Amino acid sequence: MRAERLRLLAGLALALALVLPLLPLALWSLAHGWRFPDLLPQAWSLRAWGVASSAGVLGSLGLTLGIAAATTALAALVGLPAGRALGLHDFPGKRAVLLLLLVPAVLPGIALVLGLHDLFLRLGLTGSTHGVILAHLVPVLPYMVLVMASVFAGFDTRIEAQARSLGAGPVRCFLQVTLPAVLPGLLTGALFAFLVSWSQYLLTLAIGGGRVQTLPLVLYAYVAAGRNDVAGAIAVLYALPGILLLLGFIGRITGRDLGRVLRP
Amino acid sequence: MLRSLAALLLLSAAALADTADGEALKAMGWDQIVNEARGGTVNWFMWGGADNINAYASDYIGTALKRDYDITLNRVPITDAAEIVNLILSEKEAGVTDNGTVDLIWINGENFRSMKEAGLAFCGYTSLLPNDALVDWDNPAIANDFGVPVVGCEVPWNTVQFAFAHDSAVLAEPPRDMAGLLAWIRANPGRFTYPAPPDFTGSAFVRHVFIHAAGGPEGLLGPFDQVKFDAVAGKTWAILNGLEPFLWREGATYPTTVTQLNELFANGEVAFSFNYDPAQFGLAVQAGLWPETTRSFGLRDGTIGNTNYTLIPFNSPNKAAAMVTQNLLLSGEAQLEKARTEIWGAAPAIEISRTPPAVQAGFAAIKTHPSVIPASELAKSALPELQAGWLTAIEAGWATNVGN
Amino acid sequence: MRERTRLLLLLGPAVALVGGLVLGALGLALLRSLRLLPLEEPGLSAYASVLASPGVLASLALSFWIATVSTLIAAGLALAAAMLLRQAFPGRRLVAVLVQLNLTIPHVVGAIGILYLISQSGSFARLAHAAGLIAAPGEFPALTHDPWAIGIILTYVWKEVPFITLILLAKLQTLGPDLGPVARSLGATRWQAFRFVLLPQLLPALAAGAALVFAFAFGAYEVPLVLGAHAPEALPLRAWRSFTDVDLAARPEAFAISILIAALGAGLLALHARLILPRRGRDAG
Repeated sequence: MRAERLRLLAGLALALALVLPLLPLALWSLAHGWRFPDLLPQAWSLRAWGVASSAGVLGSLGLTLGIAAATTALAALVGLPAGRALGLHDFPGKRAVLLLLLVPAVLPGIALVLGLHDLFLRLGLTGSTHGVILAHLVPVLPYMVLVMASVFAGFDTRIEAQARSLGAGPVRCFLQVTLPAVLPGLLTGALFAFLVSWSQYLLTLAIGGGRVQTLPLVLYAYVAAGRNDVAGAIAVLYALPGILLLLGFIGRITGRDLGRVLRP
Repeated sequence: MLRSLAALLLLSAAALADTADGEALKAMGWDQIVNEARGGTVNWFMWGGADNINAYASDYIGTALKRDYDITLNRVPITDAAEIVNLILSEKEAGVTDNGTVDLIWINGENFRSMKEAGLAFCGYTSLLPNDALVDWDNPAIANDFGVPVVGCEVPWNTVQFAFAHDSAVLAEPPRDMAGLLAWIRANPGRFTYPAPPDFTGSAFVRHVFIHAAGGPEGLLGPFDQVKFDAVAGKTWAILNGLEPFLWREGATYPTTVTQLNELFANGEVAFSFNYDPAQFGLAVQAGLWPETTRSFGLRDGTIGNTNYTLIPFNSPNKAAAMVTQNLLLSGEAQLEKARTEIWGAAPAIEISRTPPAVQAGFAAIKTHPSVIPASELAKSALPELQAGWLTAIEAGWATNVGN
Repeated sequence: MRERTRLLLLLGPAVALVGGLVLGALGLALLRSLRLLPLEEPGLSAYASVLASPGVLASLALSFWIATVSTLIAAGLALAAAMLLRQAFPGRRLVAVLVQLNLTIPHVVGAIGILYLISQSGSFARLAHAAGLIAAPGEFPALTHDPWAIGIILTYVWKEVPFITLILLAKLQTLGPDLGPVARSLGATRWQAFRFVLLPQLLPALAAGAALVFAFAFGAYEVPLVLGAHAPEALPLRAWRSFTDVDLAARPEAFAISILIAALGAGLLALHARLILPRRGRDAG
């Protein structure tokens, strides 16, 4: 019993530590003036939320969502077949392909950003939304391929063969047999792929040249200007979609799924 | 039927044509330029940290541009203009000469010098703007940006003069000159700091000390002079290093930005903040960030003033629309609007006496925020801005001798 | 032959995209760091000046410190958290959900939250004032914008403990039945059962996760941007500042820094690949 109480205490401490940094953000978003040594804001106000719900900030929210969704969809489209090849087949050069796919995950971010900026500038892709989406594919696509490879590694191709022998065409076979079988893994992978794109800062700044104003860029602009109230509100706004998405998924994600999709 | 189709095609072709060719625009009359600008977009890169200023640009200027000229204003908030200068530089290096990202940029000082020297600015057109007549180009503080001649490469937008802020509830009588301030810092350990150069504002504070060490600005005017610099620099570093033990965190670290200094001031950690644009003090009080008892002051031996500008990069594809925007920014009405305390409180870059009577009356009726020292009072003791060559040398010297 | 065409079609687009972008970016960075593009005076001068600059070396040391300490603390705490969450206690589900939710929060949000929490005028300092422990903000220990990068390290620990914990929990699920009781019935203590039975099984997953954390903490920009001191600055900030310097002469140095970081990344890649890639066989998961 003593051990259980200890575990309860440790669990409480962990929960508190996880939530604590988010509390001042939420409080600041409602504060009008909050100076040392006041424990609570001097006055409450919805002004910061007024800025956070202005057309400009909501436009950035939409843009960020759009970029993350487009990146994820493209990554799924290109990544699913590649994952199938890697998960189900052995071939010469497979290790090299896997190594290449690991590069964006393991290389520290800054190592690629400068070169990518140079590359995109020469391709005329800087300063545009589609350029930013393409750039986000660098961390997102390999990730998606590896997740799908791990999903297909546990996929039994015999059910496809069965469906084909019963007369199903390739499209029907994919839609009615293959896709349902890999869908849970695909969705979990897509969720985290979305989050990888969603949290990009420097890559968007470098390739978008400031013109593609995603939410993290707007957030930092207010941090840099010392508007803690607006920064608090936008930080909450920026954290919410990911939290809601995960909560929506939570019953459906298994520990094994999580194990193969995680990235820092 | 066919004719209308052809007309439609022509029309859309006209809408698609950009106005990257600056030389062609310079050969046109203003009405023709305005015609070229219609339906265009202006990507205006500007510091985005104050929502009042953002709102003025997006709402007041953006709305007027759309209404009067069918121009779409895309305000791009940035944190540091130097990054944008670099962006344009990269574009030039990569051969992007007529399809650049930036159409208009809020700029001055070292960044202007860099752009001008690297041939990144569109020049020689400003006299085409009708509202250029409101600008007093005979005033050297307008015709020179940190000592670098403007010569038609940018259009003035605001004038500012450095001022200090203090909380009158904490410190009723602040020191009124640099010698007094330095003595105050020593007498009140841990209650003062300044942002580490190259922060724009921190760099300006160090220049005030530099001018103080030189015994006044007279010997420092004109182009950079290594001999004069060496004579003053030693004294300056001695003053600043002697100050370090009395600074916030004993000078072991400095704030990286003026925002951090503002934060320290807001929480009472330090007794002073300072800024090139004293209107910022009023905005901070209105936002609830600073106490209502905030007051501001200049120095008897003078504070540095300068002008900030808007500039069109050489590779902007929307030069006509950018010129129309600059002309609107210069108008008496737009300058009056941003001078209003509740809007921004920015001092005009035009001669008020040259504006229509209604605008003049508007300016006369403005009451400054109680936390903001009126520009006229600050102007009584003003220091000229040193040329950009001095700035770079002072910033580099500070980094090796003080901030290491 | 048909099989090979099929594989090529399946893999081609992904490999071409990733390969083109990654190798293109690294190749350009290499050419520019060697001053081969634009062709000026080719050579290693950018590397020489980077490696001779005390500022860059201090930045390198700082980033190494940040990444090492964050990774060690996060790995240790994650191991403890995984052991905790493996066992039953009231509220375990809630804690498990919170651990997962933390994954979704962008680093920059965490950094700002930590800043508001632990700065000298932050929430903890105000609590200390209310408790009568300090009279002014300056008396509270400097945990942000500080030379030891405590705020930066705390942010990474906060973000990466859940990440490694979940990796370990996933691994634990695949291990099958807990062999601990068996070991203990054979006379092993609780600690010995953990140390000699469970830990060796978890170590590869722990190391693979730690390598990712190290790489991330070494190369991330936004956390030191919010929480870093004015000098020395973390290496990614330094690289970006050289890159955006209005003096174009600083460009090759920025690319040299990024190539040096990439070389370090190659070492991490080799380690990570050894831990998670199969020698042969079809299981890539």
